[in-house]
Amino acid sequence: MSERIDVLIIGAGPAGVAAGIGARREGAERVVVIERDWDLGGILQQCIHPGFGLRTFKEELTGPEYMHRFIEQAHNEGVEFRTNTMVFQIDRDNNTVWTMNKERGIEALNPSAIVLTMGCRERPLGAIRIPGTRPAGIYTAGTAQRFVNMEGYMPGKRAVILGSGDIGLIMARRMIWEGAEVEGVYEVMSWPGGLRRNIAQCLDDYGIPFHLRTTVTKIHGQDRLEGVTVAEVDDHMTPIKGTERFVECDTLLLAIGLIPENELSRMAGVDIHPVTGGPVVNDLLQTSNPAIFAAGNVVIVYDLVDNVSDEGLIAGASAAKFAAGKISPNVRRIPVKGGENVRLYSPQYVTGETDATIFMRVTHPIEGACRVFAEPNLYSQRLRYARPGEMNEVHIKAEQIRNAPDLSEITIDIQPL
Amino acid sequence: MNYDIVIIGSGITGASIARELSKYKLRIAVIDKASELPAGASRANSSMIHGGFDDKPGTMKSKFCVKGNRLWHKLKDILDVHLDECGSYVCAFNDEEVKHLEKLLEQGKANGCEGLEIISGDRLREKEPNVSPDIVAALWSPEAGIINNFEAVNAMIESAKINGAELFLETQAAGLLLDDKGNIRGVSTTKGDFTAPIVINAGGVHSGEIASWAGDKSFRIIPTKGEYYLLDRTTQGFIHSFLFACPSKAGKGITVLQTAEGNLMSGPTASEQEDPEDRSTTPEGLAEVLKGARRLVPKFPVNMNITTFAGVRANTESGDFEISALKSPRGFINAAGIKSPGFTSAPAIAEYIAELIKSELADRITLSPNEKFIPERRNIPRFLYMDMAERKALAEKDPSYAQIVCRCETVTEGQVLEAIRRGARTITAVKMMTRAGTGRCQGGFCCPRVAEILSRELGIPLDEITRHGGESKLLAGKTKEPLLNRKGAVSE
Repeated sequence: MSERIDVLIIGAGPAGVAAGIGARREGAERVVVIERDWDLGGILQQCIHPGFGLRTFKEELTGPEYMHRFIEQAHNEGVEFRTNTMVFQIDRDNNTVWTMNKERGIEALNPSAIVLTMGCRERPLGAIRIPGTRPAGIYTAGTAQRFVNMEGYMPGKRAVILGSGDIGLIMARRMIWEGAEVEGVYEVMSWPGGLRRNIAQCLDDYGIPFHLRTTVTKIHGQDRLEGVTVAEVDDHMTPIKGTERFVECDTLLLAIGLIPENELSRMAGVDIHPVTGGPVVNDLLQTSNPAIFAAGNVVIVYDLVDNVSDEGLIAGASAAKFAAGKISPNVRRIPVKGGENVRLYSPQYVTGETDATIFMRVTHPIEGACRVFAEPNLYSQRLRYARPGEMNEVHIKAEQIRNAPDLSEITIDIQPL
Repeated sequence: MNYDIVIIGSGITGASIARELSKYKLRIAVIDKASELPAGASRANSSMIHGGFDDKPGTMKSKFCVKGNRLWHKLKDILDVHLDECGSYVCAFNDEEVKHLEKLLEQGKANGCEGLEIISGDRLREKEPNVSPDIVAALWSPEAGIINNFEAVNAMIESAKINGAELFLETQAAGLLLDDKGNIRGVSTTKGDFTAPIVINAGGVHSGEIASWAGDKSFRIIPTKGEYYLLDRTTQGFIHSFLFACPSKAGKGITVLQTAEGNLMSGPTASEQEDPEDRSTTPEGLAEVLKGARRLVPKFPVNMNITTFAGVRANTESGDFEISALKSPRGFINAAGIKSPGFTSAPAIAEYIAELIKSELADRITLSPNEKFIPERRNIPRFLYMDMAERKALAEKDPSYAQIVCRCETVTEGQVLEAIRRGARTITAVKMMTRAGTGRCQGGFCCPRVAEILSRELGIPLDEITRHGGESKLLAGKTKEPLLNRKGAVSE
């Protein structure tokens, strides 16, 4: 039969590398991380701008620098990496993981526990159904970032950016640095999708116009993109007649959202949450399949890599415990419910086996003093504001749960004071 | 360049004719202005293999559709093309429409369709639980199916090429060459003259214009746009077959179907336009499709949409195909105005064209059988559909099959390399031959990788690679170049 692996981790981005460290520190003997790329680091390889690791390392690092620190730790801890290797199937009946690699061919692995750390992908143009033609020159911001930062090529010379997710903002500045023009950034919502600091550092500092409540309504050009029509939208996000304007450009970059990448999770029979798009997990980051754990952007899309790494450490440790038979099949399963102003959150269950951090995003921004809380009386924290583009956290101690044997449900919410 | 036959257009009509004629000892050239196959209406349509009940007896459509349907069910295995033999339903919402179903049933019988049956709305919902509760009855056609149109056109052309035909892409017909008697001598193109005693006009939406070069003004093409939604393959099984509403004057109306690869799809609209090349989608068109889709399938999950697209079909005023050998100039054959059910009819039209040459143009060319004709053609291996033993064996034989390029559709590097060996030169060509880029991320992941492989294999710089030929370059030079070229920039 196949080789013995205690914890198998799928994806060597920030979540996967941290999961490897977490699993080894918890005592798992054989910990293997599978990576489809030739190098470790996932998407952070192409994030060559600074701004990573402020929480973890108290300094501003580039993506590759941040990853390098974790990769070194992982090597020191004895984590094994298998690059140029892709997991293309997981059989749900026996958790067999199928990998492929040019040298090793196609292999079946049967680990004791699995950690899903596949990250997320960008929403494509089709998801927002913009009418018009289908010329060259339309890219998701991340694909454009790969062309620029990894290959050294320009996706175009005059760009419009649709959506204000962080990668879009970062790419607006990068396009300027590389010699392109950026006509503007257009966001259909009334608030930005990305972090405020990125609006300031990537748009304001370079005089790039930022248009809220405005979207692209038509694409023009047969072979190469020749321009887009933009229009303001009403409260129902319907374009307002008379506000249409033609904008000449040869490039349209899309930063319209990220979707957790869960093809393999679905194959493995893991329950996927309809709102987060990621696996339903408890605070051990255990999915509905008890031998499968998940961490990072595959679970819920984070703003900060620090959160992704933290979660990786937890998921790796939990997987190691599971592999050693140290997680009871009968752990408590207290559901977390989102209140009125909670759009999405994770984890969805609390066990009391560990201190829990619940991450959430508000539905509507609150521009003033407000309170994030968990009822009944588990957590309360004052905030200066709450915005959809910036995640909030609730912290619950394990002993709070252990001391409440009758607790049957937790509600989290953020409300103005 | 001297040939026996020049075919203008490499859509399903031109491709099928090329393969049919390659059964004879002929030098055949197929020319197309496109950079990849299929282009035109064969790329963007419903991919339906129609049952053949919809066309009035006596029309060319009725004659070729039923025959073409039967041929496709055989060609499926011979050419190794995905054809989902799923059948189709025409849905009736009221008594008046039920009467129409009865009419279609009779018409179908007259056309030679088999197995047609009118079933109750409830029986339909047993098979297709997601259809509207308001449907009262449906006409079931077991012979109908859904084909992978990308594969089918490539298969036809490859089969023709295996048997000696030559394909010239990016070669646009510019006019006809006539001899001193005013008969066909060939075609002038943007890549020079192709001489041949017989020229076949399979120019699709441009076939009216091409016919007019021969002085044939007997028909006019009305370019008619059809818009579509294509949904994520996770919608597989939402419905299992092809659903029509009752046809109206405007055409067969908005349909809902599951493609041969398992994507839910809906369309088309039918809006007439001047420009044969305008394949843009419109807010009005997409809204109309969604309305039509929801009428048949109320919970049509449009939030799972991955792309919208439009095709332009070659409608004619008569409503029928325009197929004939002209008396003058002799040697000119129209296979024109081929719209729905054109894809279905194509192999039958091709057989008819061969007969037409034998009966009417025997003085210009003799069709003697090509004893070396090889009917079979194999598709590029489809890794996604293989079982694990097959995959292992393939990866052992060729390690490039152990490297994924497109993660959504599980397409390997080996498949991309094979597509390039078979002539793919653009991102879209690779997409249509391998399905890389047809999935939910729409090329976000694989486009840079396919571009790198094309660049490496063809030995051309990355920034010369195009999306779909012409000026559709993916990239605009190296980074920092615009800065260095800017006025006042310091040179090294």
